[in-house]
Amino acid sequence: MRWSELRSNVRDALHGLFYFRYEQDLRAEAIELNDLFLLMCYMEMVGLPNPVTLYLLEVYPHLLSEFHLWHRRMGVDRSPVANIRCC
Amino acid sequence: MLLAENRKAARRLLDKRILFFGGKGGVGKTTCAAAVALAASREGQRVLLVSTDPAHSTSDIFEQRFTREEREILPNLHGLEIDADFEASRYIAEVKEQVSKMFSPAMVGAASRQIDLAAAMPGVGDVALFDRLTTIVAARNSVYDLVVFDTAPTGHTVRLLQMPEMLGTWIDALTAQRRRAVERDAAIRDDGGEVEPDPIVAALERRRDRLDSVRRRLVEHRDTSFVLVLIPERLPIEETSRAAGALADAGIEVGAVIVNRVLPDGLGGEFYAARRRQEDVYRREIDHRFKTMDRIVIAQLESDVYGLKRLERISAQILG
Repeated sequence: MRWSELRSNVRDALHGLFYFRYEQDLRAEAIELNDLFLLMCYMEMVGLPNPVTLYLLEVYPHLLSEFHLWHRRMGVDRSPVANIRCC
Repeated sequence: MLLAENRKAARRLLDKRILFFGGKGGVGKTTCAAAVALAASREGQRVLLVSTDPAHSTSDIFEQRFTREEREILPNLHGLEIDADFEASRYIAEVKEQVSKMFSPAMVGAASRQIDLAAAMPGVGDVALFDRLTTIVAARNSVYDLVVFDTAPTGHTVRLLQMPEMLGTWIDALTAQRRRAVERDAAIRDDGGEVEPDPIVAALERRRDRLDSVRRRLVEHRDTSFVLVLIPERLPIEETSRAAGALADAGIEVGAVIVNRVLPDGLGGEFYAARRRQEDVYRREIDHRFKTMDRIVIAQLESDVYGLKRLERISAQILG
Protein backbone atom coordinates (compact mmCIF):
# COMPACT_ATOMS: atom_id res chain seq x y z
CA MET A 1 0.00 0.00 0.00
CA ARG A 2 1.29 3.34 -0.94
CA TRP A 3 1.76 6.06 1.57
CA SER A 4 -0.77 8.39 0.00
CA GLU A 5 -3.38 5.61 -0.15
CA LEU A 6 -2.88 4.83 3.51
CA ARG A 7 -3.20 8.45 4.37
CA SER A 8 -6.46 8.82 2.48
CA ASN A 9 -7.88 5.67 4.09
CA VAL A 10 -7.05 6.92 7.55
CA ARG A 11 -8.63 10.23 6.72
CA ASP A 12 -11.81 8.53 5.49
CA ALA A 13 -11.95 6.32 8.58
CA LEU A 14 -11.59 9.31 10.88
CA HIS A 15 -14.15 11.24 8.88
CA GLY A 16 -16.57 8.29 9.10
CA LEU A 17 -16.01 7.87 12.81
CA PHE A 18 -16.46 11.53 13.46
CA TYR A 19 -19.46 11.85 11.21
CA PHE A 20 -21.08 8.75 12.71
CA ARG A 21 -20.80 10.21 16.18
CA TYR A 22 -22.13 13.52 14.94
CA GLU A 23 -25.12 11.92 13.24
CA GLN A 24 -25.85 9.86 16.33
CA ASP A 25 -25.91 12.99 18.45
CA LEU A 26 -28.09 14.74 15.92
CA ARG A 27 -30.54 11.83 15.86
CA ALA A 28 -30.72 11.69 19.65
CA GLU A 29 -31.37 15.39 19.76
CA ALA A 30 -34.06 15.23 17.10
CA ILE A 31 -35.80 12.43 18.98
CA GLU A 32 -35.68 14.36 22.21
CA LEU A 33 -37.08 17.50 20.59
CA ASN A 34 -39.86 15.51 18.98
CA ASP A 35 -40.77 13.80 22.24
CA LEU A 36 -40.98 17.14 23.98
CA PHE A 37 -43.23 18.43 21.23
CA LEU A 38 -45.48 15.39 21.56
CA LEU A 39 -45.64 15.88 25.31
CA MET A 40 -46.70 19.49 24.80
CA CYS A 41 -49.48 18.32 22.49
CA TYR A 42 -50.69 15.53 24.73
CA MET A 43 -50.39 17.29 28.07
CA GLU A 44 -53.90 16.34 29.20
CA MET A 45 -52.76 12.76 29.21
CA VAL A 46 -50.41 13.50 32.07
CA GLY A 47 -52.98 15.63 33.83
CA LEU A 48 -51.85 19.09 32.75
CA PRO A 49 -54.37 21.39 31.11
CA ASN A 50 -53.64 22.43 27.56
CA PRO A 51 -55.53 25.51 26.36
CA VAL A 52 -54.84 24.92 22.68
CA THR A 53 -56.29 21.40 22.52
CA LEU A 54 -59.02 22.61 20.21
CA TYR A 55 -56.55 24.18 17.82
CA LEU A 56 -54.46 21.01 17.72
CA LEU A 57 -57.40 18.91 16.57
CA GLU A 58 -56.80 19.76 12.94
CA VAL A 59 -53.25 18.43 13.08
CA TYR A 60 -54.07 15.26 15.06
CA PRO A 61 -53.69 12.92 12.08
CA HIS A 62 -50.14 14.24 11.66
CA LEU A 63 -49.49 13.75 15.35
CA LEU A 64 -50.80 10.22 15.08
CA SER A 65 -47.82 9.10 13.01
CA GLU A 66 -45.43 10.88 15.35
CA PHE A 67 -47.06 9.12 18.26
CA HIS A 68 -46.68 5.79 16.48
CA LEU A 69 -42.92 6.36 16.03
CA TRP A 70 -42.66 7.33 19.67
CA HIS A 71 -44.22 4.17 21.14
CA ARG A 72 -42.16 1.98 18.80
CA ARG A 73 -39.07 3.79 20.01
CA MET A 74 -40.13 3.15 23.58
CA GLY A 75 -40.17 -0.56 22.74
CA VAL A 76 -43.96 -0.93 22.81
CA ASP A 77 -45.27 -2.81 19.79
CA ARG A 78 -48.89 -1.69 19.84
CA SER A 79 -50.24 1.69 20.90
CA PRO A 80 -50.13 1.80 24.71
CA VAL A 81 -52.98 4.31 24.89
CA ALA A 82 -56.45 2.88 24.33
CA ASN A 83 -57.77 6.05 22.70
CA ILE A 84 -54.96 6.52 20.26
CA ARG A 85 -55.11 3.74 17.73
CA CYS A 86 -52.27 4.43 15.40
CA CYS A 87 -51.68 0.75 14.66
CA MET B 1 -77.52 68.21 33.69
CA LEU B 2 -76.84 64.52 34.15
CA LEU B 3 -78.51 63.83 30.86
CA ALA B 4 -76.15 66.14 29.03
CA GLU B 5 -73.16 64.32 30.47
CA ASN B 6 -74.68 60.95 29.68
CA ARG B 7 -75.30 62.05 26.15
CA LYS B 8 -71.76 63.22 25.62
CA ALA B 9 -70.32 59.93 26.91
CA ALA B 10 -72.84 57.89 24.95
CA ARG B 11 -71.95 59.73 21.75
CA ARG B 12 -68.35 58.66 22.13
CA LEU B 13 -69.48 55.05 22.61
CA LEU B 14 -71.72 55.09 19.55
CA ASP B 15 -68.80 56.27 17.43
CA LYS B 16 -67.02 52.98 18.11
CA ARG B 17 -67.37 49.88 15.95
CA ILE B 18 -67.17 47.25 18.69
CA LEU B 19 -68.39 47.55 22.28
CA PHE B 20 -68.06 44.99 25.05
CA PHE B 21 -70.32 45.24 28.08
CA GLY B 22 -69.11 43.63 31.27
CA GLY B 23 -69.62 43.78 35.00
CA LYS B 24 -70.57 41.80 38.07
CA GLY B 25 -73.54 39.45 37.80
CA GLY B 26 -76.92 41.07 38.24
CA VAL B 27 -75.95 44.74 37.81
CA GLY B 28 -77.82 45.10 34.52
CA LYS B 29 -75.18 44.46 31.85
CA THR B 30 -77.68 42.95 29.49
CA THR B 31 -80.14 45.80 30.00
CA CYS B 32 -77.47 48.44 29.34
CA ALA B 33 -76.05 46.61 26.32
CA ALA B 34 -79.55 46.21 24.91
CA ALA B 35 -80.40 49.87 25.58
CA VAL B 36 -77.25 51.12 23.83
CA ALA B 37 -77.77 48.75 20.89
CA LEU B 38 -81.36 49.90 20.61
CA ALA B 39 -80.37 53.57 20.75
CA ALA B 40 -77.76 53.08 18.02
CA SER B 41 -80.17 51.19 15.78
CA ARG B 42 -82.80 53.91 16.17
CA GLU B 43 -80.20 56.39 14.94
CA GLY B 44 -79.88 54.40 11.77
CA GLN B 45 -76.73 52.42 12.52
CA ARG B 46 -76.78 48.78 11.52
CA VAL B 47 -76.25 47.02 14.84
CA LEU B 48 -75.48 43.46 15.86
CA LEU B 49 -76.15 42.60 19.49
CA VAL B 50 -74.26 39.47 20.54
CA SER B 51 -74.82 37.67 23.81
CA THR B 52 -71.99 35.48 25.05
CA ASP B 53 -73.47 35.08 28.51
CA PRO B 54 -74.59 31.49 29.06
CA ALA B 55 -77.54 32.94 31.00
CA HIS B 56 -78.74 34.61 27.77
CA SER B 57 -81.26 37.11 29.13
CA THR B 58 -81.28 39.17 25.92
CA SER B 59 -84.17 37.12 24.59
CA ASP B 60 -86.15 37.97 27.71
CA ILE B 61 -85.56 41.70 27.44
CA PHE B 62 -86.61 41.94 23.80
CA GLU B 63 -89.27 39.28 24.34
CA GLN B 64 -87.99 37.69 21.14
CA ARG B 65 -85.87 34.64 20.63
CA PHE B 66 -82.21 35.29 19.94
CA THR B 67 -80.77 32.33 18.05
CA ARG B 68 -77.39 30.74 17.42
CA GLU B 69 -77.41 32.36 13.99
CA GLU B 70 -77.85 36.09 13.45
CA ARG B 71 -81.42 37.18 12.87
CA GLU B 72 -83.23 40.48 12.66
CA ILE B 73 -84.86 41.48 15.94
CA LEU B 74 -85.95 45.00 15.04
CA PRO B 75 -85.27 47.25 12.05
CA ASN B 76 -81.47 47.81 11.91
CA LEU B 77 -80.95 45.55 14.90
CA HIS B 78 -79.75 41.98 14.53
CA GLY B 79 -79.29 39.59 17.41
CA LEU B 80 -77.17 36.52 18.05
CA GLU B 81 -76.70 34.26 21.03
CA ILE B 82 -73.41 32.37 21.05
CA ASP B 83 -73.78 28.95 22.58
CA ALA B 84 -70.44 27.47 23.66
CA ASP B 85 -71.44 23.81 23.33
CA PHE B 86 -72.98 24.35 19.93
CA GLU B 87 -69.89 26.22 18.72
CA ALA B 88 -67.67 23.42 20.00
CA SER B 89 -69.61 20.75 18.15
CA ARG B 90 -69.70 22.86 15.01
CA TYR B 91 -65.95 23.34 15.17
CA ILE B 92 -65.41 19.61 15.70
CA ALA B 93 -67.57 18.79 12.70
CA GLU B 94 -65.55 21.19 10.56
CA VAL B 95 -62.26 19.68 11.67
CA LYS B 96 -63.50 16.17 10.96
CA GLU B 97 -64.55 17.12 7.48
CA GLN B 98 -61.18 18.72 6.81
CA VAL B 99 -59.39 15.66 8.14
CA SER B 100 -61.47 13.29 6.03
CA LYS B 101 -60.45 15.19 2.90
CA MET B 102 -56.75 14.97 3.67
CA PHE B 103 -56.11 11.51 5.07
CA SER B 104 -56.75 7.83 4.42
CA PRO B 105 -59.96 6.31 5.86
CA ALA B 106 -58.00 4.25 8.40
CA MET B 107 -56.29 7.39 9.67
CA VAL B 108 -59.57 9.26 9.74
CA GLY B 109 -61.18 6.55 11.86
CA ALA B 110 -58.35 6.65 14.36
CA ALA B 111 -58.23 10.42 14.49
CA SER B 112 -62.01 10.71 14.79
CA ARG B 113 -62.06 8.86 18.08
CA GLN B 114 -59.38 11.08 19.44
CA ILE B 115 -61.05 14.24 18.22
CA ASP B 116 -64.30 13.26 19.95
CA LEU B 117 -62.41 12.62 23.13
CA ALA B 118 -60.59 15.94 22.99
CA ALA B 119 -63.88 17.71 22.29
CA ALA B 120 -65.17 16.60 25.67
CA MET B 121 -62.28 18.27 27.53
CA PRO B 122 -63.18 21.08 29.90
CA GLY B 123 -62.40 24.48 28.47
CA VAL B 124 -63.04 23.47 24.87
CA GLY B 125 -66.37 25.32 24.93
CA ASP B 126 -64.60 28.52 25.99
CA VAL B 127 -62.12 28.29 23.19
CA ALA B 128 -64.90 27.53 20.69
CA LEU B 129 -66.86 30.52 21.96
CA PHE B 130 -63.79 32.64 21.61
CA ASP B 131 -63.30 31.30 18.10
CA ARG B 132 -66.78 32.45 17.08
CA LEU B 133 -66.20 35.81 18.72
CA THR B 134 -62.97 35.98 16.74
CA THR B 135 -64.74 35.61 13.40
CA ILE B 136 -67.10 38.44 14.32
CA VAL B 137 -64.38 40.75 15.66
CA ALA B 138 -61.86 40.13 12.89
CA ALA B 139 -64.43 40.23 10.08
CA ARG B 140 -63.43 42.65 7.38
CA ASN B 141 -66.16 44.43 5.43
CA SER B 142 -68.60 43.71 8.21
CA VAL B 143 -72.17 44.63 7.27
CA TYR B 144 -72.59 46.16 10.72
CA ASP B 145 -71.69 49.66 11.86
CA LEU B 146 -71.65 48.61 15.49
CA VAL B 147 -71.29 45.24 17.21
CA VAL B 148 -72.33 45.15 20.88
CA PHE B 149 -71.21 42.21 22.98
CA ASP B 150 -73.18 41.43 26.09
CA THR B 151 -70.69 39.29 27.97
CA ALA B 152 -70.79 36.92 30.91
CA PRO B 153 -69.86 38.20 34.39
CA THR B 154 -66.50 39.87 34.70
CA GLY B 155 -64.09 37.02 35.46
CA HIS B 156 -65.20 35.00 32.48
CA THR B 157 -65.01 37.94 30.11
CA VAL B 158 -61.62 39.12 31.20
CA ARG B 159 -60.36 35.58 30.69
CA LEU B 160 -61.94 35.55 27.26
CA LEU B 161 -60.21 38.78 26.26
CA GLN B 162 -56.88 37.60 27.60
CA MET B 163 -57.21 34.51 25.47
CA PRO B 164 -55.40 35.83 22.38
CA GLU B 165 -52.41 36.58 24.55
CA MET B 166 -52.46 33.23 26.33
CA LEU B 167 -53.20 31.07 23.31
CA GLY B 168 -50.63 33.03 21.34
CA THR B 169 -47.92 32.24 23.86
CA TRP B 170 -48.84 28.57 23.72
CA ILE B 171 -48.90 28.42 19.97
CA ASP B 172 -45.54 30.18 19.80
CA ALA B 173 -44.01 27.65 22.19
CA LEU B 174 -45.43 24.74 20.20
CA THR B 175 -44.33 26.20 16.89
CA ALA B 176 -40.80 26.86 18.11
CA GLN B 177 -40.52 23.34 19.49
CA ARG B 178 -41.90 21.73 16.35
CA ARG B 179 -39.64 23.81 14.15
CA ARG B 180 -36.55 22.81 16.09
CA ALA B 181 -37.47 19.13 15.78
CA VAL B 182 -38.18 19.45 12.06
CA GLU B 183 -34.88 21.23 11.47
CA ARG B 184 -32.90 18.47 13.18
CA ASP B 185 -34.73 15.85 11.14
CA ALA B 186 -33.93 17.76 7.99
CA ALA B 187 -30.25 18.06 8.94
CA ILE B 188 -29.97 14.28 9.27
CA ARG B 189 -31.82 13.55 6.07
CA ASP B 190 -30.03 16.35 4.29
CA ASP B 191 -29.82 15.36 0.63
CA GLY B 192 -29.47 18.84 -0.73
CA GLY B 193 -33.11 18.92 -1.84
CA GLU B 194 -35.83 21.36 -0.83
CA VAL B 195 -37.18 20.85 2.65
CA GLU B 196 -40.96 20.40 2.48
CA PRO B 197 -42.95 22.82 4.64
CA ASP B 198 -44.21 21.10 7.76
CA PRO B 199 -48.04 20.86 7.87
CA ILE B 200 -48.12 21.16 11.66
CA VAL B 201 -46.08 24.37 11.67
CA ALA B 202 -48.27 25.70 8.86
CA ALA B 203 -51.48 24.97 10.79
CA LEU B 204 -50.12 26.55 13.96
CA GLU B 205 -49.04 29.65 12.09
CA ARG B 206 -52.45 30.06 10.49
CA ARG B 207 -53.92 30.05 14.00
CA ARG B 208 -51.38 32.54 15.21
CA ASP B 209 -52.19 34.97 12.39
CA ARG B 210 -55.85 34.89 13.26
CA LEU B 211 -55.21 35.50 16.95
CA ASP B 212 -52.97 38.41 16.05
CA SER B 213 -55.63 40.09 14.00
CA VAL B 214 -58.11 39.78 16.89
CA ARG B 215 -55.60 41.09 19.38
CA ARG B 216 -54.84 44.05 17.15
CA ARG B 217 -58.54 44.77 16.85
CA LEU B 218 -59.04 44.59 20.62
CA VAL B 219 -55.94 46.41 21.73
CA GLU B 220 -54.61 48.71 19.06
CA HIS B 221 -57.74 49.86 17.31
CA ARG B 222 -59.37 52.91 18.76
CA ASP B 223 -62.72 51.71 17.49
CA THR B 224 -63.07 49.00 20.13
CA SER B 225 -64.07 49.83 23.66
CA PHE B 226 -65.13 48.17 26.88
CA VAL B 227 -68.03 49.38 29.00
CA LEU B 228 -68.17 48.36 32.64
CA VAL B 229 -71.58 48.33 34.29
CA LEU B 230 -71.97 48.61 38.05
CA ILE B 231 -74.45 49.70 40.70
CA PRO B 232 -73.53 52.06 43.56
CA GLU B 233 -72.78 49.35 46.12
CA ARG B 234 -69.62 48.08 47.78
CA LEU B 235 -69.12 44.70 46.08
CA PRO B 236 -69.76 45.80 42.49
CA ILE B 237 -67.39 48.76 43.00
CA GLU B 238 -64.60 46.46 44.15
CA GLU B 239 -65.12 43.91 41.40
CA THR B 240 -65.40 46.54 38.71
CA SER B 241 -62.24 48.24 39.79
CA ARG B 242 -60.40 44.90 39.64
CA ALA B 243 -61.82 44.30 36.18
CA ALA B 244 -60.69 47.75 35.04
CA GLY B 245 -57.19 46.89 36.26
CA ALA B 246 -57.16 43.54 34.47
CA LEU B 247 -58.40 45.12 31.24
CA ALA B 248 -55.76 47.82 31.46
CA ASP B 249 -53.13 45.09 31.93
CA ALA B 250 -54.43 43.38 28.81
CA GLY B 251 -54.18 46.71 26.99
CA ILE B 252 -57.92 47.03 26.43
CA GLU B 253 -59.44 50.49 26.68
CA VAL B 254 -62.31 51.02 29.11
CA GLY B 255 -64.42 53.64 27.38
CA ALA B 256 -67.08 54.23 30.00
CA VAL B 257 -68.51 53.14 33.31
CA ILE B 258 -72.29 52.89 33.53
CA VAL B 259 -73.63 53.52 37.03
CA ASN B 260 -76.91 51.68 36.88
CA ARG B 261 -79.98 51.62 39.12
CA VAL B 262 -79.30 54.90 40.88
CA LEU B 263 -82.13 56.13 43.14
CA PRO B 264 -84.36 58.66 41.38
CA ASP B 265 -84.47 62.23 42.68
CA GLY B 266 -87.21 63.83 44.67
CA LEU B 267 -88.60 61.06 46.80
CA GLY B 268 -89.28 61.30 50.52
CA GLY B 269 -89.36 59.06 53.56
CA GLU B 270 -86.80 57.90 56.07
CA PHE B 271 -85.90 54.72 54.21
CA TYR B 272 -85.26 56.64 51.01
CA ALA B 273 -83.20 59.30 52.79
CA ALA B 274 -81.01 56.66 54.44
CA ARG B 275 -80.43 54.81 51.17
CA ARG B 276 -79.77 58.03 49.40
CA ARG B 277 -77.11 59.05 51.94
CA GLN B 278 -75.34 55.74 51.51
CA GLU B 279 -75.62 55.92 47.75
CA ASP B 280 -74.08 59.39 47.70
CA VAL B 281 -71.02 58.01 49.47
CA TYR B 282 -70.65 55.25 46.92
CA ARG B 283 -71.26 57.57 43.99
CA ARG B 284 -68.52 59.89 45.17
CA GLU B 285 -66.29 56.87 45.49
CA ILE B 286 -67.16 55.75 41.96
CA ASP B 287 -66.43 59.24 40.62
CA HIS B 288 -63.09 59.14 42.35
CA ARG B 289 -62.02 55.60 41.44
CA PHE B 290 -63.10 55.74 37.80
CA LYS B 291 -62.25 59.36 37.20
CA THR B 292 -60.29 58.66 34.04
CA MET B 293 -63.34 57.12 32.35
CA ASP B 294 -66.61 58.54 31.09
CA ARG B 295 -69.50 57.91 33.44
CA ILE B 296 -73.10 57.30 32.41
CA VAL B 297 -75.69 57.38 35.20
CA ILE B 298 -78.99 55.56 34.88
CA ALA B 299 -81.79 55.98 37.41
CA GLN B 300 -83.92 53.11 38.58
CA LEU B 301 -87.37 52.70 37.08
CA GLU B 302 -90.38 51.97 39.22
CA SER B 303 -90.48 48.52 37.64
CA ASP B 304 -87.96 45.98 36.33
CA VAL B 305 -86.81 46.23 32.72
CA TYR B 306 -88.16 43.88 30.10
CA GLY B 307 -90.03 44.52 26.93
CA LEU B 308 -89.33 47.23 24.40
CA LYS B 309 -91.30 49.99 26.15
CA ARG B 310 -89.23 49.94 29.32
CA LEU B 311 -86.01 49.37 27.45
CA GLU B 312 -86.74 52.54 25.50
CA ARG B 313 -86.95 54.44 28.77
CA ILE B 314 -83.42 53.26 29.63
CA SER B 315 -82.22 54.18 26.14
CA ALA B 316 -83.73 57.62 26.63
CA GLN B 317 -81.78 58.10 29.83
CA ILE B 318 -78.56 57.23 28.03
CA LEU B 319 -78.98 59.17 24.84
CA GLY B 320 -81.88 61.48 25.58
